[in-house]
Amino acid sequence: MSDQEKKAVDRAEVSRMLAKKAPEMKRILNYCLHCSLCAESCFLYMSHDGDPQYMPSYKVINSLGKLYKKKGNVDLEFLEGIKGMVWNNCVLCHRCYCPIGIDIPRMIDFTRSICRSQGVYPELDEGESWL
Amino acid sequence: MDIYGLVRGPLVWVAFIVFVLGLIYQAQQFLSSTREREVVLPPASLLGGVELPKPLSLADISSSFLGVHPVITVVTTIFHVFLIMLPIFVLGHNVLFEESFGFSLFVFPEMVADVLTLIVILGGVFFFLRRILIRRVRAITTLYDYIIVAIVVVPFVTGYLATQQLLNYETILILHILAGELMLMAIPFTKLKHGLLFFLYRYQMNYENCLGSGSRVWSYNQAK
Repeated sequence: MSDQEKKAVDRAEVSRMLAKKAPEMKRILNYCLHCSLCAESCFLYMSHDGDPQYMPSYKVINSLGKLYKKKGNVDLEFLEGIKGMVWNNCVLCHRCYCPIGIDIPRMIDFTRSICRSQGVYPELDEGESWL
Repeated sequence: MDIYGLVRGPLVWVAFIVFVLGLIYQAQQFLSSTREREVVLPPASLLGGVELPKPLSLADISSSFLGVHPVITVVTTIFHVFLIMLPIFVLGHNVLFEESFGFSLFVFPEMVADVLTLIVILGGVFFFLRRILIRRVRAITTLYDYIIVAIVVVPFVTGYLATQQLLNYETILILHILAGELMLMAIPFTKLKHGLLFFLYRYQMNYENCLGSGSRVWSYNQAK
């Protein structure tokens, strides 16, 4: 999608989506112990010399966590900022493992849905990729 | 009523009531936001071919959490076990049980209790330093995470100082009781609630790494 085609973020829609899953997502975000023990279960983290940006919990806290903190009051720049985190830095392989039982891929998947609802998603010809 | 009487009497009851009601509230919240999963089994003729789980092998252990994170698995297990056992089986608390309720439990010899207390304190120091020194942990650590560690460790530090009668005994004792009450009240309403929620999320929720029945799913999935 070109810059001209992109519209302003429909904040009401983002807030509605966040509210619908709030019983799960907010509770799980508050439950995360920030222990970082999910790190080694992510092959992207392992193949990037332990760069914390690829750690599953980092991706969730800094994308969905921030969306909830801001209560959906975000702009396009914010969504573009987390786009790489939830698409390029995660392939939704479901291999991430949380010792206290957080279903991390569900949260990344949900964040992608929110971005997608606002027309923010990777283009097929985008150069930047983990591949 | 003096300060000691207050923290030793009414505040203990307040702390226990908040602790118990808080955990009941968290369990109720869990139940109300999840529902029983509908299980659809394949035809019986297909079930015959299902392989039974194999016994654990060394390869399983090396790829398990113990194999991948041996240090933290051992430290966190010891830390959590003693953290729960010590307050229940320490002599001073059982003297209070005897005075208040007319019964007491098995108690650790004082020397053993002192060593176990130091182990819990060192465990807290380990978690604290881990947050500062390890890059990936530091990347997601907030002030709240340090406060949580402090809430857990301070009752043990003050308890050790009180039993060793270091510093002003009466002041330390009051601080110890207050810190313990604060910890009890904080458990249901902070990240410390993982003591309860671990068993609910890890064993009850249906997902790939579920350890138990996985009989529940989030209830909004049903919403139209």
